[in-house]
Amino acid sequence: MSREPYNALFVDFVYLLRDYGVPAGLPDLLEVNAGLERGLVKDMDDLLVLLRLSFVRRVEHMDPFERAFALYFYGVDIPAVAEGDPELLRTPQFREWLARAIEKGDLHPLARWKMSPEELMKKFWERLREQTEEHHGGSKWIGTGGTSPYGHSGFAQGGVRMYGESRSRSALKVIGERRYIAYADTNELRNETLRQALESMKHLRRDGPRTALDIDATIRRSAKEGGEIDLVFRQEFRDRMRLVLLIDNGGESMTPFVELTRLLFGKMRDRFENIETFYFHNTVLRKVFSDDRRTRPVETEKLLLRPPDTRVVMIGDASMGPDELVSPYGALSSYEMGDSEPSICRLRRLAKRFRKTVWLNPIPRTHWNSPHTPWTLGQIRRIFQMEDMTLGGIKGMVERLSDKTGSE
Amino acid sequence: MTASEMRFAGSDRYYLDPELAGIVNVALQMEKPLLLTGEAGTGKTQLALEVARALALEVEVLRCKSTIKGEEACYTQDTVLRLNDARFGSGGTGRDVQNFYDYVVWGPIGRAFRAGKKVVLLLDEIDKTESDVQDNLLDILEDCEFTIREINTRVRAEIRPAIFITSNAKRELSDPFLRRCYCHHIAFPSPDQMHEIVKLHYPITSPKLLKAAMDIFYQLRDRGYEKPPATSELLDWIGALERRGALPDPKDLPLIGVLLKRAGDIQAFRAKKFTRE
Repeated sequence: MSREPYNALFVDFVYLLRDYGVPAGLPDLLEVNAGLERGLVKDMDDLLVLLRLSFVRRVEHMDPFERAFALYFYGVDIPAVAEGDPELLRTPQFREWLARAIEKGDLHPLARWKMSPEELMKKFWERLREQTEEHHGGSKWIGTGGTSPYGHSGFAQGGVRMYGESRSRSALKVIGERRYIAYADTNELRNETLRQALESMKHLRRDGPRTALDIDATIRRSAKEGGEIDLVFRQEFRDRMRLVLLIDNGGESMTPFVELTRLLFGKMRDRFENIETFYFHNTVLRKVFSDDRRTRPVETEKLLLRPPDTRVVMIGDASMGPDELVSPYGALSSYEMGDSEPSICRLRRLAKRFRKTVWLNPIPRTHWNSPHTPWTLGQIRRIFQMEDMTLGGIKGMVERLSDKTGSE
Repeated sequence: MTASEMRFAGSDRYYLDPELAGIVNVALQMEKPLLLTGEAGTGKTQLALEVARALALEVEVLRCKSTIKGEEACYTQDTVLRLNDARFGSGGTGRDVQNFYDYVVWGPIGRAFRAGKKVVLLLDEIDKTESDVQDNLLDILEDCEFTIREINTRVRAEIRPAIFITSNAKRELSDPFLRRCYCHHIAFPSPDQMHEIVKLHYPITSPKLLKAAMDIFYQLRDRGYEKPPATSELLDWIGALERRGALPDPKDLPLIGVLLKRAGDIQAFRAKKFTRE
């Protein structure tokens, strides 16, 4: 094999990976070439291993990488969702398959309406499984399906066709198992992925144990020892954080997320000096409440007296009528609170006082810009850094909360 | 034995998934550190030790603690001993106060670099260290070289050790650190793989017991406990069951404390008795 062809071959793959959100770069590509030169790749299994080791560093990129690999080398386009997830119906892969199946006459033209979504999804996954099984044995470089945007000839020219029985399982079959999907960043936060999220929260620590020289004690002790220097160290003060949780428990839709978030932060108790939880309905008015039935009010102004490096996490869907957010006396309860100030002003003041504030939103990020999303969400997003309740969102939140720059 | 000749193919005590075998061998041949992450009890540390055993290499292990500094992993200078010798004489110990090296204590990295032959260097639970320690280790591991500050002398590995690094957390390591390693996340073994693992450890135990235990084990894992039982718990449990000499009764699971470790999990388990659906 000459050097040129596989350079060209993998360059495209790097761009595909980047499209899939895997931060692959030039050094990784050189690494691959070095591996190829050492003759590490004899079949597709080896190629999968070498490429994955060279390009993937974080487990959340594992699933996107495997999907990109399946598309590029086998022409099998695997959607980003797990089997059984109704989100499948929105994916381009599903739509394309449906259109193609109708075109070929495999499905009724009105299949989308005639068949139940469950049936359609089942058919889709079956077809996908067939596709991955066809390749079993790993004797082909790319698939016969011809759906790949990367043509057959592109690779053939390079002369890197590799025929060789797989030692064990074919690379594609391994990918088909989707072992890493639970770690993908786009995953919703669920009980199963909670542990993963918790691990990312270990970041929330500003200073580890360190030893500081206690000069006073050192001088005292050294004098006592008759001039023999005796160093005394003490534990450095450990800086811990205060956290205020503000939870919207107005709507039923929020309930599962409230539990999850409280669990999440409860587990992290030792990272924080203290955690206070308050509740509000839709948005923050003159008062918030210290109990979830919203009977014990606390003046919002009092919250603002907390030290400025207090971390504030707001949890809510940020969806309400526009009036509620921007008009004086906009919300029903503002009358009883005697609240003439629009809620948005209070939110701005919170964001101004506490730099490290994040708004966690159970509505997935992909829907935030849709025309059906309430206008208020966009407004609130301008005030707070908003994250959704996925692993990626939690990571973003942790980054913001543990951000060391400009805190004081 | 040169790097290109080394191949690891599992051992009598360690079940090696073919894919993992590929990964280990690529790392060995490319002479890059292999960072292993994954749930506790998936055999991360064990893998490094077994590679060393199978290839008949010596192992240097650095068990990381939060207080450890990068330098300590390479060497420490025993200043107190040297001061003591300077004042009271080194006696018959053969140490020479003038000779710096007589007071150097080599850490695992130092020993691995100075070994003069291929060794396995295991940095266990690297995520426990401070992030600046990890940054310090970056270049040391990449160049296989460190400097002794006091005498400004470089220590360089003539033969690069096979470096394995394990980590329990997945995100705490910095991007530059990850970039210098090959990273692999060991997924939890599938039931088939688990069967192989269990068979390696209990070759003569009755298949009936193994099957019953594994069925229960995987069902328990699906229940979403805070600390779900992992491989090592299953192995312990089977060992305990074997000594007890009876099949586990799904209605009244024996020795549950071997499988579930957290008080909250055990309470949750008691609240919802185990039944076979």
